[in-house]
Amino acid sequence: MAGGADHGRMERWCWGAGSVVVIVYALIPVAWILSLSLKRSADLGDNRLFPQVVSLEHYAAVFRDPQFSAALWNSLGIAGISTLVAVLLGMFAAYAVVRLEFPGRRVILAAALSIAMFPPVSIIGPLFNIWRTVGLYDTWAGLILPYITFTLPLAIWILSAFFREIPWDLDKAARVDGATPLKAFVFVIAPLAAPAVFTAAILVFMFAWNDFLFAISLTSTNDARTVPAAIAFFTGSSRFQQPTGSIAAASVVVTLPIIIVVLIFQRRIVAGLTAGAVKG
Amino acid sequence: MSEIELRKVSKRFTGATAVKRANFTIRDGEFFILVGPSGCGKSTLLNMIVGLEDVSEGEIRIDGQRVNELDPKDRNMAMVFQSYALYPHMSVRENMAFPLKLAKLSNPEIDRRVARAAQILELDEYLDRRPRALSGGQRQRVAMGRAIVREPRAFLLDEPLSNLDAKLRVQMRTEIARLHNRLGTTTVYVTHDQTEAMTLGDRIAVLRKGEVLQIGTPRELYERPRNLFVAGFIGSPAMNFLPARRAEGRLELPPGALEIPAYNAKRWGTGQGPLIAGFRPEHLRVIGERDVSVLWFAARAEVVEWLGADLFVYFDVALKGFGEMDLPEDLDIQRGDTARHTLVARIDPAHAVQEGDSLRVGLDWRDVHVFDAASGQNLTLSNAVNEH
Repeated sequence: MAGGADHGRMERWCWGAGSVVVIVYALIPVAWILSLSLKRSADLGDNRLFPQVVSLEHYAAVFRDPQFSAALWNSLGIAGISTLVAVLLGMFAAYAVVRLEFPGRRVILAAALSIAMFPPVSIIGPLFNIWRTVGLYDTWAGLILPYITFTLPLAIWILSAFFREIPWDLDKAARVDGATPLKAFVFVIAPLAAPAVFTAAILVFMFAWNDFLFAISLTSTNDARTVPAAIAFFTGSSRFQQPTGSIAAASVVVTLPIIIVVLIFQRRIVAGLTAGAVKG
Repeated sequence: MSEIELRKVSKRFTGATAVKRANFTIRDGEFFILVGPSGCGKSTLLNMIVGLEDVSEGEIRIDGQRVNELDPKDRNMAMVFQSYALYPHMSVRENMAFPLKLAKLSNPEIDRRVARAAQILELDEYLDRRPRALSGGQRQRVAMGRAIVREPRAFLLDEPLSNLDAKLRVQMRTEIARLHNRLGTTTVYVTHDQTEAMTLGDRIAVLRKGEVLQIGTPRELYERPRNLFVAGFIGSPAMNFLPARRAEGRLELPPGALEIPAYNAKRWGTGQGPLIAGFRPEHLRVIGERDVSVLWFAARAEVVEWLGADLFVYFDVALKGFGEMDLPEDLDIQRGDTARHTLVARIDPAHAVQEGDSLRVGLDWRDVHVFDAASGQNLTLSNAVNEH
């Protein structure tokens, strides 16, 4: 008995220690960036983890820069719209793939997967030329379209895997209770699918928010340049100065929405998963 | 309130026929049972009535109006599913109110109806709980509640009790019967359990492999089964079967021959095909006069089951030169091999029969059903007995 308790304590301790190692390892770069963003320009090269004097001068500089606030607005808009459209389309597609018998529904899933595995870098060149010809270069739509294309397969897979687990007697029950197919979906199926929807939404949002490749290749001005691309165009306060501090501050600023989004949705996911586990 | 009429209704899935020309009428206010082994098409039939499955062929009419093309939402029928299909994200109250909200009833009316249903089903205390916080029996009642609040034209129940344990099942069975008496709504009830069918139904349709074999009251099905399958399916323990042969004025069974008056023997025809004799466990007697109409034979009690009010005695009969019987496989009657067959007798528990005891068992020819082994037809019934 005592041995068993010891064993359990030992196991917990090992797990705890392991988790700490992983978390520290993962967070050191983040801590370093945070530290850089809070140092004075003069201290940037002092090789210390903790700033000697905490200063918000880089944050002030970043927000004074019209380029950055434009990029922030672009990032929010483009990632938001991409998420909305991809999740909505993904829901309809996944619902159809799971619920309807039609020729080629396996092909759809396979095709979606192959698109998700397609290396984006290989289409960047052609896309650049096409976008310039059709006038999508340096527009929101010009980024939203590829983001949806590359995230939709993921959304379809996550959602269809989840839809498969939903007891479809519920849909039948709603239909018999007097609901149209759309109402049955909206009032019964969609609320149950919420956890999957949030999961898909987070992943799509992160893809669009973090993307650098499309953003740097398909934009040229503040009209559509997103934050990851804009950071690359940062300059120091003088031509002799590295923009390290501003880049660090900007990086911290763009990381915050992701952290907030994940924290908010994570709750929903956990809450939703247990609700969905009810039999019948 | 409504009368549901099925006119030669068939359902074909790719490569298979699930329902073959079902043709019957469920009367207004009737408690109608669809019973049969799994895969017999009973649930498909129910789904067609409610509109969840398309009708391949034929016509379904409700109160004389064709509903084949009507969406389930417009049929105003309520269904209880085997899984209960309660909406897990809604409270009991919201579950029951859901169909009423869809019907755009006023809030006071919704509250009134939900309260009434909750009171009938004794769910008042649970109205604000989620389904996951309820026991199996309570979930079952919520599913019933969601059905009755609508005051629908008909209730359709698809194996509603099969997820409950044995004791609760019996309790809910009586509750459903009481509910039907109280509301008087046409009810169609699907089950694979013949006991449920017998106890609940005003009339029962026995289905097998998509075909309706017989429709009748429980008593009709029990006393006058039209074929071997119905005979073996209805009744518990199941009817005893023995291979049989025609002989001049007699019916030869492995344990002996029964004298049959010529008038009755005529019905079996003069064909030479093998026969199967069937008789209920309660028709095997251990006491009685030595009447010429009764065949007496010796048996040795192999297993004795005493249930208080009943005593079941199982004994073997050697088949002695009679061919093997071909009983329908889906009847699940496994009572022997090529050499012997086990029979069961239900006798008065006052008899102190013990395992290994020898007894004399009597069988009256009037209690014997004679089936054609090839077609399964009950030859004992006059051909006039055709309910539908």
